[in-house]
Amino acid sequence: MIGVIALVLTDAISIGMMQQMLTNQIGADAGYIQIHRKGFQTDPSLKNSISNASTVKAAISKDAASCKTSERLRTFGLVSSAYNSSGVSIVGIVPDDEKDVTTIHKYVVKGSYLRDNPDEIIMSTSTADKLRLELGDKVVIMASRVDGSVGSEACRVVGLFETYDSGFDQTHVYIPLTTAQDMLGAPGRISEFVVNPVNPERTETVARRLEADLPAGFEVLTFKQMLPILVMQLRLYDQTIYIFYAIIAIALIFGIVNTMLMAVIERTHELGVDMAIGMSNRRIFRMILTEAFYLGIIGTAAGLAVSLAVYVPLSRSGWDLAMFSESLNSIGAGTIIYPVLKATTLINTIVIIPLAAVAGAVYPALRAVKLQPVETIRMS
Amino acid sequence: MDTEKSSSNIVRVEGVRKVYHDNGVPVDALRGINLTVSPGDFSVIAGPSGSGKTTLLNIVGTLDKPTEGKVFLDGEDIASKTRRQLADIRLRKIGFVFQAYNLNPVLSALENVEFTMMLRGVEAAERKRKGLALLEELGIGELAHKRPNEMSGGQQQRVAIARAISNDPRLVLADEPTANLDSETAVRLLELMERLNHHDGITFVFSSHDPQVIGRAHRLLILKDGQIATDKIVQ
Repeated sequence: MIGVIALVLTDAISIGMMQQMLTNQIGADAGYIQIHRKGFQTDPSLKNSISNASTVKAAISKDAASCKTSERLRTFGLVSSAYNSSGVSIVGIVPDDEKDVTTIHKYVVKGSYLRDNPDEIIMSTSTADKLRLELGDKVVIMASRVDGSVGSEACRVVGLFETYDSGFDQTHVYIPLTTAQDMLGAPGRISEFVVNPVNPERTETVARRLEADLPAGFEVLTFKQMLPILVMQLRLYDQTIYIFYAIIAIALIFGIVNTMLMAVIERTHELGVDMAIGMSNRRIFRMILTEAFYLGIIGTAAGLAVSLAVYVPLSRSGWDLAMFSESLNSIGAGTIIYPVLKATTLINTIVIIPLAAVAGAVYPALRAVKLQPVETIRMS
Repeated sequence: MDTEKSSSNIVRVEGVRKVYHDNGVPVDALRGINLTVSPGDFSVIAGPSGSGKTTLLNIVGTLDKPTEGKVFLDGEDIASKTRRQLADIRLRKIGFVFQAYNLNPVLSALENVEFTMMLRGVEAAERKRKGLALLEELGIGELAHKRPNEMSGGQQQRVAIARAISNDPRLVLADEPTANLDSETAVRLLELMERLNHHDGITFVFSSHDPQVIGRAHRLLILKDGQIATDKIVQ
């Protein structure tokens, strides 16, 4: 029972945490699909931005009803106050469109989100702290323009955000797209289009369709290609959980060996009588395995009941791990973990635990069938 | 070929020796026993403690194997049988009544009786019908749903007898069946077994040194130092 609870809850929390890391990354910045000019993924500079945005928009418009889209111009630059400077990724966005594909607007904790007024900027509280900025203060952002010269713009801080990911916070500032295009001398240029299917299950389908419709020179990436490490972690976890299952099963087998061995020893006399009155070895062997199987079933059922009693409310309210906020934010998981219980976890538990219980009963059952009835009856 | 299908004896024991080892010292429990048991016998193997009564009964009941000699049950040599075949022989041909009753403590009287029938694959309804009929016949029908710890020694031994005869065995082996009973209960139990012998033709072989049991024997075998000292028909 304890093993089942440990297995189910650990699995649910781990899966929940990793899915959160993935959905946080998708939700805050990456989106489900991005379209770039070929080469942007390896060299995300202005020279790899898209100048013929209308081609991409035409391709996207075929899925307009089932997808949300946003366009960005992104570059590396410097944000400076009177006190300090910080290297950041400057992201020009269309504020209203961005709301449809990412959740950055939800993380604004002070001030307001961008309202598409020129010269506005939002940044994280940690960046603001580093630059000793308050709401309403002015900062200067600088970056290389398309022509190689240096472009700069003075912007007023209108909002401060705090996401789940401290690394992301320290390296991103947002300004209106038009401001970015003006500052960088890149009118009409777009670094990336973000396309989010309303039904995320359609991500691959939409991506393949866009790939087919767009001419050569563009790359269509899904979140799996943009966040390969996270996706690989999830896949790896799906494999490594079986090691955890094996550990639980081995512990259970030892427990069952002990329990059933004690049961056989305590019932030596009774088993001897059963043998004397005609119970075959095969039947005794089967009886002990059956008892262990039922023990496994009862333990699994009780364990699942307790696990679900913990899981159901936790999956709704989330598990607040604020005390570990620093480490959780550093991996982008967020401080409130919502466990996710997958059907495979339940099926594996229901299959593995009773089978492990039966496996653990084999040795005690072999001991039982070796009993000599004439000796065990004499024990009375 | 050891099979003697034509034999009318239920049990035939030929030159059986049994040697135990007590701390490495060989001890002769049985020394050359020859014996036959015929259908309908009501035989008592008597003798002092350590004379080999229980050992002989265990060997006849296939619970133990002789060091030397042969035992035939219904003409079949049990030496050639596997453990599984011996269990099947015990289930179908032999009923056991033990000194300490040896009922399953977690089963009711009826369930204890039904248990052997269940091992034979008798259907549940038939098991229940026959189990209740047997308990009624033995005068403990009202205790059908009581557990052993709720019954007296005599009642428990009646349940044990019901269990022993539930599979219509060819032979019932009773090892000191009255040893734990008061004399009045013992008499009633012996009367019951005599009745089963007379009316139903069940063959009984007892081991006992209880004079009440010996007094009712139709055939008395007295064991002494592992040998049959006396074998006589008592009318």
